[in-house]
Amino acid sequence: MRVLKPLFLALTLVISNLAFGHAVVTHNSLKLKPVPVNQASQVELSFNSKVELDLSEVFLVSAGDVMTPIKAIPGEKPGQVLLELPSLIPGEYAIKLKIFAADGHLSEDLLRFFVKEAK
Amino acid sequence: MEGIANYLDSLIGGVDLTFYSITIGGLMWGLFVLRPWDENANYNNALLEKTIGLIYFGSKALVITQLSKIGLKIWLMAVTLGKSPFPAFFQTVQFQAGLARAAFAFGLFLFIKHSLYNNTRSKQHWLTAIAIIAPLVMAAAWLVHGASRLEDRGLLMTLTVSHQLAAATWVGGIFQILAIWRLKKRNAISVELWPLLLKRFSIVGIWAVVGLLITGTPLAWYYIRTFQGFIGAGYGNLLMVKIMMMGLALGFAWMNRQAVEDYFSSRSLYVLTTRVPYYIEAETLILLTILFTAASLASQPPSVDIPHLTATWEEVLNMFHPRIPRWESPTHEALIAGEAGRVAIVGQVPSEAATAWSDYNHNISGIFLTVMSFFAMLSYRDRFHHWARYWPVGFMGLGVFLFFRSDAESWPLGPIGFWDSTFNNGEILQHRIATLLVFVLGWFETRARVKDDPGILPFFFPLLAAFGGMMLLAHSHVGFEAKTAFLIQVGHTLMGVFSLILACGRWLELKLDSPGKNIAGFISVFALFQIGVILMFYREPLY
Ligand SMILES: [Cu+2]
Repeated sequence: MRVLKPLFLALTLVISNLAFGHAVVTHNSLKLKPVPVNQASQVELSFNSKVELDLSEVFLVSAGDVMTPIKAIPGEKPGQVLLELPSLIPGEYAIKLKIFAADGHLSEDLLRFFVKEAK
Repeated sequence: MEGIANYLDSLIGGVDLTFYSITIGGLMWGLFVLRPWDENANYNNALLEKTIGLIYFGSKALVITQLSKIGLKIWLMAVTLGKSPFPAFFQTVQFQAGLARAAFAFGLFLFIKHSLYNNTRSKQHWLTAIAIIAPLVMAAAWLVHGASRLEDRGLLMTLTVSHQLAAATWVGGIFQILAIWRLKKRNAISVELWPLLLKRFSIVGIWAVVGLLITGTPLAWYYIRTFQGFIGAGYGNLLMVKIMMMGLALGFAWMNRQAVEDYFSSRSLYVLTTRVPYYIEAETLILLTILFTAASLASQPPSVDIPHLTATWEEVLNMFHPRIPRWESPTHEALIAGEAGRVAIVGQVPSEAATAWSDYNHNISGIFLTVMSFFAMLSYRDRFHHWARYWPVGFMGLGVFLFFRSDAESWPLGPIGFWDSTFNNGEILQHRIATLLVFVLGWFETRARVKDDPGILPFFFPLLAAFGGMMLLAHSHVGFEAKTAFLIQVGHTLMGVFSLILACGRWLELKLDSPGKNIAGFISVFALFQIGVILMFYREPLY
């Protein structure tokens, strides 16, 4: 039984850590709140799980598939992520996500959007 | 290298579950079926050493798999993100729970090597082995969907772990029975042991199935919720496929149970030695495929999370709608011209040519298989046998066709080099493997059907078919267009199930005596026909 003690210790270390599963975007603010023209803005994403932002990458894709890394910070609620968009001229864009979910799955996602001049 | 990393990462889950089952299921077998400490159990050492040897092998393989899993994950992240995943990766549960699992498996490995092997009949030792492995079973809870929910986490994690345990008991037990059958064939165990252990296992097996249902039903309900989620999303679809295969496995389990009951009333060993072992072999193929499907299921987002991305049942049914197969291909120039627009992220233009090209490939392959299955059916008649038995040559033709057609943007038709395309794209790699498989299959199977004494050659076909089915089921990807990817997946998973039926049917045809042999052979060929029909009517959604 002497062997078991360190093993159980190792287990409690594992248990003490919270984990979340396969990440997909369940909600994003792009539909409700259009991205403003020529003005830096923030996009809010909700995932169905916790994501490891340190092990994830987010890109802004602009015309000609030019990729620019953008900053992602954790939001207040669990699974919420805030993206810092630079000021953008009108046109078609996309946000490309490479997200590492805590259950170990690396999933990629793509959110397309338009920046339009207000009418 | 991203392609290979991604591909291996999706396969290793199934490998992991297999070794997990051999280890945990083996211990359950010892605890509930064998019970070597019972006074009236008269097992010889050969049996006990074989039993423990299998668990020992499982624990060793589990350590290696678990460490490879972590290594693969690191590799995958490094190539995908293009930077070192350290030190952040050390903080992830993936790493910690994974390492803990490897450690407990290693603990069991050491314990068996130094202690259980020398005390094969000691109840205390068996129970200690279970105690060592219990944390490994629990650690898995932190690596599944359940851990990710914001509500009912504890319940979901417990259900999933119990589900895995029940599955492992069944699968591990089946592996033990196969091992005992080998001993029986060599006359290394007493005659009455074979029916006795089969009988005991059938009771444990029933409990395992009950456990699977009791734990699986609420999980399915929780993650799927709606009929549309079951029919129209990847998660629901894979679950449906799992249920279908489970039905097949239960069919074999039922036949075995019948045979055991007949034995205890008639005392005739005939069925137990000429049919049951082969039913069990087929059952093993099915169970392994289920494990690979389960691993693939674990990487899908639950249907309940993506209601906006599920397809309707009309859309799903439409994928199987009969129509005239496309038998004219767009030109290679038209295809290449549309590629840039199709793969663009911003300003994407769906390519008609790409869709037509893919439809053509699938439809023509379908015609190949349907025609082949027709000749295969003819070959069972004496009148036509002489020439119709050459039907597997069609596979070689199909392999050549696919080699040129399946990935037109790469060599030999397209600009991307052979090695470059093979190793940098998971999809192309899979196609290349499949293509090679199809060609080799044709070569082996033709020889097997034509030669008078083919030896082990005929067994390659069912094994490769089962492997092919596993590949179709193990790797389903949620791409950027989740719904489109799903609609493509529907047809492919169904073909995976039919290749499994094809494999089992042919395997039994080779092993059984009449009339079972002929029934199995016909079912096998019919499954081939079904695959052909699905492919013939396949139509890719435009994107
Ligand atoms: Cu395909």
